[in-house]
Amino acid sequence: MSMLQRVQNVLAGLLMIAGSVVMILSPDDGCAVIAWSLSILMILAGIRSFFYYFTMARHMVGGEMLLYTGAIVFDFGMLTNAVSDSPKLFVIFYLLLIHAFSGLVDILRGLEAKRLEAPSWRLATIRGIINLLTIVFCVIFVRSTQVLVGIYCLGLIYSACTRIYSAFRKTAMVYIPR
Amino acid sequence: MQKDFHYYATYAAAYIAGYSHEESMAVCYSAQFVDWCSKTFLSKIKAPQTAATTQLQLEMMDARTDVIGLQDITRIWSSFHFLPYDLYAEKKKCTRLYRDKYRLICNVNGDLVVDTVKLAKDAGLQAVGLAMHILADTWAHRYFAGTPSLVINNTNYYFYELLSDGETEQERKIAFRHSPSKPDDLDKGLYTNSVYQRNENSVMNLGHGRAGHLPDYSFMRYKYLPAWGDYEEIIKDNPSDYLHAFCQMIYAMKYLRGTIEDFKKECYDWDAIAPWEDEIKAILAKRQLDSCEDWKAFGEKLSGQEIGDFELDAYTEEYLQAAKDEKDNTFLGKFITAALAQKSMVTNRIFKSGNILAGVSVDLVKDSLGELWKYGKRFFPYAKRRHNASKEAENGREDLR
Repeated sequence: MSMLQRVQNVLAGLLMIAGSVVMILSPDDGCAVIAWSLSILMILAGIRSFFYYFTMARHMVGGEMLLYTGAIVFDFGMLTNAVSDSPKLFVIFYLLLIHAFSGLVDILRGLEAKRLEAPSWRLATIRGIINLLTIVFCVIFVRSTQVLVGIYCLGLIYSACTRIYSAFRKTAMVYIPR
Repeated sequence: MQKDFHYYATYAAAYIAGYSHEESMAVCYSAQFVDWCSKTFLSKIKAPQTAATTQLQLEMMDARTDVIGLQDITRIWSSFHFLPYDLYAEKKKCTRLYRDKYRLICNVNGDLVVDTVKLAKDAGLQAVGLAMHILADTWAHRYFAGTPSLVINNTNYYFYELLSDGETEQERKIAFRHSPSKPDDLDKGLYTNSVYQRNENSVMNLGHGRAGHLPDYSFMRYKYLPAWGDYEEIIKDNPSDYLHAFCQMIYAMKYLRGTIEDFKKECYDWDAIAPWEDEIKAILAKRQLDSCEDWKAFGEKLSGQEIGDFELDAYTEEYLQAAKDEKDNTFLGKFITAALAQKSMVTNRIFKSGNILAGVSVDLVKDSLGELWKYGKRFFPYAKRRHNASKEAENGREDLR
């Protein structure tokens, strides 16, 4: 992990914690702010992927995957932006969907890392399981908006902490250019 | 390539080319030293860090991937390990950004190989060793570029080892893992490679990292889809490539010794290895992670002399003890001069092709010392000496007229 990536992880973690605190203190406004920020970030990431594909990756074997990924991220961003003014419960469920998605991705990445015997598989798997458990709790307490927001924010704070922890972790680097 | 080829095989090639045991030792030490002359090492001996010919793992971890950092990485890896084949290569309907990276793909028998070998002529045994490292690497590292690039250096799941028992040939899918502490498992076909990174400029996408150590094993034969190759499969036959590298090194060193008048592309001294051809082929084809013992035994059989192990600090003390104006005449001083000349030449060629991925280059002879100062103050003392030498030579030629 480069220094820039470490700084990015720490900043993202701190932003996530700050967002969680805002949501807990003011659930109505907090949800909208988080959804809006998320949508902007995803739209920008999607545009960046499009640019990269059309200038570089379209000549690359398997480069289409980068285009599809960019399109999905862009689409998610637009959708999030569209629902950021909707009722709180709807936004929460939408964010939970994203949480479930990242949980699944984390577990798949963990399994892949285990198959490749990379030591990072434990952290990725645990992060994925906790993400999915958050969804289960949200479904159980679906009637209480306060509990829903609280559970979601706890999950978010956990994700933020793991990000910050990752930023300070020593990372073994495989590098074989010779 | 690894120490087995850069050190022991280079010794054998130098000896066959006509160098004495002592000269061959200096050549092979210099060839192997290219993989160790890092900024960290140069700072230890208080030498100009611009002469670095490699980057260590820890240096890479801290390497910046902004424009300046990328240029530094590209200068080192393109100049010494992934010599570009065609700086004016064209690819239809691509952006300049892509084309500049595409043009840095390494391959054998490019114009820069000729320039590299000719640059080493009459520049000392250190320059010979340095040039042999670069020449040999063009064979091992062909199809990869010495600049971080996902779109050029990436590989995917389509990667097969080609196994042959002499009569039949079969394919085995290669399984890559990212466990740096575990050695490659030849029996199970498990190899370590660098982690996939979507970031175009990640150092994980530098050189053949995504293909693991496969290009470094002389016995390895495999097929894969290079990221830049428009879905056309490449079959990499290392035993054949390494044999070509060995014969081209002999031919190049005969030129550098003065036995041959000119160095041309696609020339190999097959006759020189005829007495040992089967033995050399057997070493190259033997499935093992490290061929040092076999190459060492072969080299010692050739010369009848013992080939000592490579010791990084063998010439350090000599350099440290030398007076300031005498450092250039030490073993390491001559290597540093050769490295600076090579890096300067390759950077210049890349820059003149309209590509700034390796940075900006100024002409040592044509530009003023003020321009050279801008190139970098650490490079300046070397540039000044070369500049003055060129001016003196120019004046000498005018006197003769």
